[in-house]
Amino acid sequence: MLVKLLKYDLKYMIRNMSIFYILSIFFAITTRILFSLEQSVIINIISHISMGCMISMLASILINTMMRSWIRFRDSLYKDEAYLTHTLPVTKNELYNSKFFLTLIFFFIGFFVIILSLFIAYYSKDNWLAITNFIKNITIGLNMSTAFLVTMFIIVVFLEIFNAIQCGFYGIILGYQKNNGKLGYSVLFGFISYLVAQFLVLFLIFIYGLFDSSIMELFKTAAVSIDVNSFKILLIIASLLYLVIIYVMSLLCKKSFNKGVNIE
Amino acid sequence: MELLEIKNLNKSFDNKEILKNININVSGGKIIGLLGKNGVGKTTLIKLINDLLTPTSGEILVNGKKVGVETKKVISYLPERTYLNKNMKVSEVIDYFKDFYDNFDENKAKKLLKDLDLDVNEHLSKMSKGMQEKVSLVLVMSRNADLYILDEPLGGVDPATRDYILDTILSNFNEKASVIISTHLIADIERILDEVIFIDKGEIVLQGDADKLRNKEKASIDEIFRRMFKC
Repeated sequence: MLVKLLKYDLKYMIRNMSIFYILSIFFAITTRILFSLEQSVIINIISHISMGCMISMLASILINTMMRSWIRFRDSLYKDEAYLTHTLPVTKNELYNSKFFLTLIFFFIGFFVIILSLFIAYYSKDNWLAITNFIKNITIGLNMSTAFLVTMFIIVVFLEIFNAIQCGFYGIILGYQKNNGKLGYSVLFGFISYLVAQFLVLFLIFIYGLFDSSIMELFKTAAVSIDVNSFKILLIIASLLYLVIIYVMSLLCKKSFNKGVNIE
Repeated sequence: MELLEIKNLNKSFDNKEILKNININVSGGKIIGLLGKNGVGKTTLIKLINDLLTPTSGEILVNGKKVGVETKKVISYLPERTYLNKNMKVSEVIDYFKDFYDNFDENKAKKLLKDLDLDVNEHLSKMSKGMQEKVSLVLVMSRNADLYILDEPLGGVDPATRDYILDTILSNFNEKASVIISTHLIADIERILDEVIFIDKGEIVLQGDADKLRNKEKASIDEIFRRMFKC
């Protein structure tokens, strides 16, 4: 049943997100073409407008993935459509998991489209060389491989965003348990759970810092004097903590959700 | 075992009691009218049976099972509002029901839609509210369920279509199944009712066989209702 739920959730998201993907790639192509033309004042202005449009589309992909995930969650589980969703012969866990995986899938797709658009718009041997050299300089300074740095950076950013989305889900679940001011409470509870999650990550890193003086320096001084190994460990710990928090948060969401709903 | 058993059911919102100590038994093969004025708790009771609300206390059993996945397989529910995703075509909604309900009869749905002059290729968003309600009713009645729960099925449709809908309800459920119809348009459904449940201020005030009640009171159900709930 989870696959069937996911199928219809995916259809909804594709319907709403595909326009941003198409426009992002369209403006990436026009940006590339326009910048490759012989430059004049007018062409230069149009090129920059096209680039601006592409960048705004890339930002829209991120923002809309986040917003649409929350809206889908709320509309499907707490608004008129909930009359159908909650009377389907599926468990509450399946309903939740469908939204969870939907968000995960669309973040991957969004991330892929962003990379693809940037590649289309700006790829050249010189640009590629400049980027790899820039990353190499950082990795040499930090004594780590490029693959490790890029991978860890992407993982931490991805987990951080995903954690924010799931805090939003939790906020909606708690907010819609109230009889009045459901939307306001959803935003409030979502924000509080996000702050609590962030504080928890910071607190656990602080606890780790008690055993690693280099990491403790981050809490004591303004200067960034962390050593390479500690930086690596910090990235790994942050990733693991986010993973644990995402898992615990999903358990909390399911537990609250399984207590039952009150659909208006 | 009763098809539907409701024991000592209570529901409150913000300490305000909406339903008080509801006890109902429904056996198979009956059409039951859940009757009451607006805002007395009919929809709340129906939503509790369908897991859309959480009881404050009490128990609801369908075929002896607590409300959950198994009970949703055998209950076919028509809410009072249009609840289908309006971005879908009628044909897509049919596929949706086919995907999730094993007891959904696609051919029956298409036949009923054709009888009502509804186009399966039309988007729900382009249909009037009345047409959307007809589509919802067709989908609900095209399931071979044990219990049909229809919340105000006649509210949004023209009087000419009401008879067709009532005939559709009568001719589309099997002998063992029961139908609970919540409405305040009692005169329209009177002819099909086997049992009635009168609800007022969150409490059941009368429950019994429709014919016995008519004979006892020497009046129609509609008249009994009007007398009982006279403002």
